[in-house]
Amino acid sequence: MRLLLLNSLLLLCILTSCTNVYKDLQQTPGDPGCITQFRPQFDNTLYSTQVDVMKHHLSGLLFIKQMPDSSQRVVFANEMGFKFFDFEFTRDGQFIKHYMMDKMDKKAVVKTLRGDFELVLLHPDLQKATVKKDGQFRYVVVPTAKGNNYYITDTACTKLERIEKSSSRKPVVKAWLTDYKNGVPDTILIRHQAFKFNISLQRVQK
Amino acid sequence: MRRWIIALMITCSVAQANAQQHPGYKPVADVAGFKQQFATASRQTQSIQCDFVQEKNLSMLADKITSKGKFWFKKENKVRMEYTAPSYYLLVMNGKDIKTKDGQKESHVSTKGNKLFEQINKITVDCVQGNVVDNADFKTNILENAAGYLLEMTPVNKQLAQYFKTIVLLVDRKDLTVNKIEMYEAGGDNTTISFLHKQLNVNIPDATFAAK
Repeated sequence: MRLLLLNSLLLLCILTSCTNVYKDLQQTPGDPGCITQFRPQFDNTLYSTQVDVMKHHLSGLLFIKQMPDSSQRVVFANEMGFKFFDFEFTRDGQFIKHYMMDKMDKKAVVKTLRGDFELVLLHPDLQKATVKKDGQFRYVVVPTAKGNNYYITDTACTKLERIEKSSSRKPVVKAWLTDYKNGVPDTILIRHQAFKFNISLQRVQK
Repeated sequence: MRRWIIALMITCSVAQANAQQHPGYKPVADVAGFKQQFATASRQTQSIQCDFVQEKNLSMLADKITSKGKFWFKKENKVRMEYTAPSYYLLVMNGKDIKTKDGQKESHVSTKGNKLFEQINKITVDCVQGNVVDNADFKTNILENAAGYLLEMTPVNKQLAQYFKTIVLLVDRKDLTVNKIEMYEAGGDNTTISFLHKQLNVNIPDATFAAK
């Protein structure tokens, strides 16, 4: 009986979480740099924003501004003006937390939000990037400390399908940047795969 | 006696310093008279309906976010703020009940047992109604110029002080209603809400403030 249970668990593990969803991707020649065309040209951009974290729901306005020193500031405040956070992403890849509301100011929360917005700002270090493909898509694979970031496009690299931040075997965060207008996506959706943490951005006129 | 003179001098210099922070304003000569006038006007104000323009000034970014909407107030403690631009957002406060609604979700909360919510609720109603000079959560300085009064409120409550350095109310001299609320944060940012096209004591149905 115990052996049966163990076997079932192993089978379940093989069929689900232990499966490497990227194992069938094939290496292919190509320029990883083609994904930089999808880097949003945030200048002075405002998004109506909803965040769902576990049982909590936050809404407000997210403001992304390109600063004169080429750093990018990301500020999220509720509709009445109460600021949730103010982050800076510098040109050389540094991160500065200028403000975080006390109740949210936990290391894990800051780290998660930082990672999510780094995906969306789309400034990957492509030095060790490789290009892979499957029957449908082209994948620019950028190694990270805990896995890879996958920038998934159509085979001709003309349309960004989605971005996946992954562990060694499966995606942990998926992000969609869609409806680009003048180099800026109208809609951005970030979904964490292991727990309920979704960020939904809809561009609004400032 | 000397102690009293020193105390008086300190009070005068603090009031003068506050007036200097707000050019064109000087301390109100008759504070008790102002409070009485203010209280009388607020007793007579049964409802307010108006438009509002909110500006969130981000000092470090040298930029601002402007929002617009409609505002309703009805005695004793009913407030409805409906943001229409740049995106829709609804906030209704009715006694201890609060309803919020954004593009995706409607939420209902009660301020019961939530001290911060209770304080924010009280500030909003007090600001609109003009009772704020008596709110024990703030130390208030009252200044004036030809057009109106300026109430500078500094939180004495630790929890509120986390959010606001000061809150300034600009009050119309004619009808003693609030024209503008300016909320200054410790980090240098501020949010201002200007109330425009005010209609006082118009009939507003209770259903406007349904929060449950």
